[in-house]
Amino acid sequence: MTIAHETTFSNRVLAASQVINWRNLPVMILLGIGAIFMLLPFLWMFATSMRPASEAYQLPPSFLPSRLNFDAYWAVLDSPIPFLRMYFNSFVVAVATTIGTIVTSAMAAFAFSRLRFPGNSWLFGFMLLGLMVPPALIVIPLFFGMAAAGLLDSLWSLILPALASPLAVFMMRQFMEGQPREYEEAAFVDGASYWTIFWRISLPQMGPPIAALSIIVFTSSWNNFLLPLIFVRKFETMTLPVGMVALSDNFGSLSLAAIMAAVTMCVLPLLVVFLIAQRFIVESITSTGIKR
Amino acid sequence: MATLKQREAIAAFGFLAPAYIIYLLFLAIPLIAALFLSVLEVDRLTLSIDYVGWANFDWIFTDPRFWKTFANTFYFITLAVAGNVGLGLVLAILLDRNLPGPLLYLFRLAYFLPVLVSLAFVSFIWQFLFSYDLGIINYYVRLLGLPPVGWLNDQNIAMFSIVIIDVWKNVGFFIIILLAALQGVPKSLLEAARIDGASAFTTLRRIKIPYIAPVILFCVTYATIGGLQVFDSIKIITNGGPGDSTRSVVMYMYSEAFNAGELGTGAASALTLLIVIAVVVAIQLGLGRRLARR
Repeated sequence: MTIAHETTFSNRVLAASQVINWRNLPVMILLGIGAIFMLLPFLWMFATSMRPASEAYQLPPSFLPSRLNFDAYWAVLDSPIPFLRMYFNSFVVAVATTIGTIVTSAMAAFAFSRLRFPGNSWLFGFMLLGLMVPPALIVIPLFFGMAAAGLLDSLWSLILPALASPLAVFMMRQFMEGQPREYEEAAFVDGASYWTIFWRISLPQMGPPIAALSIIVFTSSWNNFLLPLIFVRKFETMTLPVGMVALSDNFGSLSLAAIMAAVTMCVLPLLVVFLIAQRFIVESITSTGIKR
Repeated sequence: MATLKQREAIAAFGFLAPAYIIYLLFLAIPLIAALFLSVLEVDRLTLSIDYVGWANFDWIFTDPRFWKTFANTFYFITLAVAGNVGLGLVLAILLDRNLPGPLLYLFRLAYFLPVLVSLAFVSFIWQFLFSYDLGIINYYVRLLGLPPVGWLNDQNIAMFSIVIIDVWKNVGFFIIILLAALQGVPKSLLEAARIDGASAFTTLRRIKIPYIAPVILFCVTYATIGGLQVFDSIKIITNGGPGDSTRSVVMYMYSEAFNAGELGTGAASALTLLIVIAVVVAIQLGLGRRLARR
């Protein structure tokens, strides 16, 4: 088993070295330098978060931590601002938004892609218009509506508007159009209900695109700033992006190392998700109709 | 007894209902409400509502600060589009070669990572990188024997710094789209050019770039629409300052509606923004059609 693995690995290295076109070397170096510059801010963030408070502003800067020191992380968790609570809020909002968006957009996509009904293309077009609407425009009336419904300062005010996602409906329909219809037709001939067909056949076929869309929805919810900034005033209901502002406004009591520790903790789930699923994400972005 | 066709339609509306009801409640109706709000004056204390016609628009159109925010936003867009799409295209062209797999994986990781992470989070990092006294960037500037730069506290430079952050954050997105387009150029065209003895640069200029022109145009439009809405990084890093040099249109909307309590003028400025976006999209569609016909 191990030997077989090693053989394939060395074969792959050999194959790779034969593929390398050494005339590309300057290009590789250029791209490498660019890549390092892209990563440096993250490295500095991490290195700073590992420093004792007294060395926070150390110059020349280091981009790798000299030793592992988690004091800054404890300082964040100990601060008067309930960071863990905000973390939990962000998770609740992101998970609820993701599940809700996937379910509603998959159902809508099933109707748009598989069922015949009057006004199909008209209703789809009307929904796509929503892609053009800047969040800044609707945030004022939404604020009124949330206030009237008594939802300000609740997580619902962040979850519900995020479920209205024309982009998710559009992407899900594109994915579904790319799937074969034979199984669904066979099930229909066998007398299965539309709900059974959707739930048992259409959805399971779309595992990978649903995974990709989930990641996109999750990260955009995790990163959302404008809505929480306006809808949420209490620490207990803040999500991380707004919580970070609150945290750094209380900077007097916290070191730079602590701020960077907090940012590291905010960014970490995204890095993990990305490392696991980067291929999904990249392919889904390039395959949803942006290509000509 | 409903016919098969009617049953299918009923089922379809059932499947559509959840997404559509939420869409209407949280996007379509607020949009219409915003249209109405822009001609109303709402008193936040008494909640009395008055029809004021064009007064809100008159107010913002005669407010020099409003035009200042539009000028700022267009300055931002010009540089951000050039940076994102221009640099993205150069990097995509460089990446569009037979690079070894692991290296390609690493590059993709490095360039795409900031795309995934919110501006709200990375703004905190950049705030310190750009700091005048304690910032890393000025440390290296001094090392080169130059005077330190007021990245965030010089009125003439602050918006440029915001652009740098935006390009760092978004260029990976454009790289991926442009790279996919470049890899979609038909091999037969490239083969024919090679046989005719065209140099790499000629192939790029005469075949690849014209072929992906519609995608480039899409990227320009996309970056423009994104740029019109720039807010998060500015709100966190400079809060519009120094002076009003980094105040954007969305910041104007935000401070009118939620700081000054002028919901009507806030809605009017947001609506103006939507109209500008619609015009940009219309121009892009027109240009795209012309490119496709050629």
